[in-house]
Amino acid sequence: MNSVLGTCEHPYLQLSLKHSPFFRRTRLSLPPTFNNNRRRTQVKMASITTTTVEMGANNELLKKGIAELYDESSGIWEDIWGDHMHHGFYDPDGNANISDHRSAQIRMIEEALNVANVANSEDSSKIPKNIVDVGCGIGGSSRYLARKFGASCQGITLSPIQAQRAQALANAQGLGDKVLFQVADALQQPFPNGHFDLVWSMESGEHMPDKRKFVSELVRVAAPGATIIIVTWCHRDLSPSEESLQPEEKELLRKICDSYYLPDWCSTADYVELLKSFSLQDIKSADWSKYVAPFWPAVIRSALTWKGITSLLRAVPQRPPEWWTCLCKVVRNGCLGWKTIKGALAMPMMIEGYKKDLIKFAIITCRRPE
Amino acid sequence: MRLLTHNMLSSNIKGVTNGFPLGIIIDKSTQIEVEINTDFLKTMFSKIDWKALVDAATLMGYSDLPEEVDESMLESEELLNKFHHALLELHLEEGALICPETGRRFPVSKGIPNMLLHEDEI
Repeated sequence: MNSVLGTCEHPYLQLSLKHSPFFRRTRLSLPPTFNNNRRRTQVKMASITTTTVEMGANNELLKKGIAELYDESSGIWEDIWGDHMHHGFYDPDGNANISDHRSAQIRMIEEALNVANVANSEDSSKIPKNIVDVGCGIGGSSRYLARKFGASCQGITLSPIQAQRAQALANAQGLGDKVLFQVADALQQPFPNGHFDLVWSMESGEHMPDKRKFVSELVRVAAPGATIIIVTWCHRDLSPSEESLQPEEKELLRKICDSYYLPDWCSTADYVELLKSFSLQDIKSADWSKYVAPFWPAVIRSALTWKGITSLLRAVPQRPPEWWTCLCKVVRNGCLGWKTIKGALAMPMMIEGYKKDLIKFAIITCRRPE
Repeated sequence: MRLLTHNMLSSNIKGVTNGFPLGIIIDKSTQIEVEINTDFLKTMFSKIDWKALVDAATLMGYSDLPEEVDESMLESEELLNKFHHALLELHLEEGALICPETGRRFPVSKGIPNMLLHEDEI
């Protein structure tokens, strides 16, 4: 787990869109100061230089930042992309049209269920009846899974805005009695032990500052025989001779973490080791990076529409500080908002991470023993 | 927040031995009718803490649930209707859920419980 430590640090609040669609790698006119910024910032190893109190304070800031990020950005995302806040699953060689993305997002859910053999069981007693959606966004997965299996689903998110919106959508779709949302921390889930027969985490693991605690909570709330499905961002597995990522790889991830609300990255192999340490069975993992590649360019294209741009301009913090108000006046006549600029600056680095096989889109599934 | 949710939420504050069931403070509650689904109710029955449901429903002003129920009684349409009403039609819109050991209030706002722990509670 050496790679888990020291890839990122979040000592202060930074509001950025995690998967902000508004990036163009080559065509944006990026500020010359950023392009020329070669200043190297020392990477601090959280386990060595940061005290327990500092880590606690950092995690509190991280949670607050994540909540505020999604409080402010979920509406934009839903307005343009709908209620699934995750990547689509595509054929690697296909060309993704804008109209394909909703079905690709659904396909992502179905493909994940297939890996874990949840949807393939012919035994009706194996169909999940109690589901938890950890990091539920505005509840796209929750409602889909509840509808598919006729199950009850609890969704948890750090964002009160997301929870309210998720519940409103569930109520409007006649699922308000089955699909229920609360504001809660995935690292301290407010549920009893062994309550759920499907534990679902779709693109939320990358926000978890303590991967071991995250996994331990997924396991704790899983009933005997339950399936756990994690779809998340990881960095590449280390080779047997490596103690950690290469310095330039760590630097790239650090810069990415500085722009998004992401704590330390780990590898897919790290997740597999964690699951093994909890004696879970049928552990499977796969690299789905090539299946999500068409998503980002499509998101960019969709964002650079009039609807996309105007949606961004409406996304101001709920309690804007004075400097923000001034900045808004300055950029309002431009094509991008402040968060967009910050996200845009990070997007080339994400693409670079993918091209260098550093960043992976991973699925890891397992089953809790009966 | 429906009582289906209340029936599975617990306080995980550090040092708390048994954080279930949570107490309820009602600032605003409503009742919203929803179509009954008997298969769903029968499936959920095994997951429900019946006493906690009865007590919570009583706090919400509904006292018609029998104190004790076994699975065979679920064939009764009358019981299913009462179970359905208590579990799914009583809503806490504004108020709080109370840790049974520490008295800590978890706010419920616009029907959404906030179960986030403070840093010193982890």
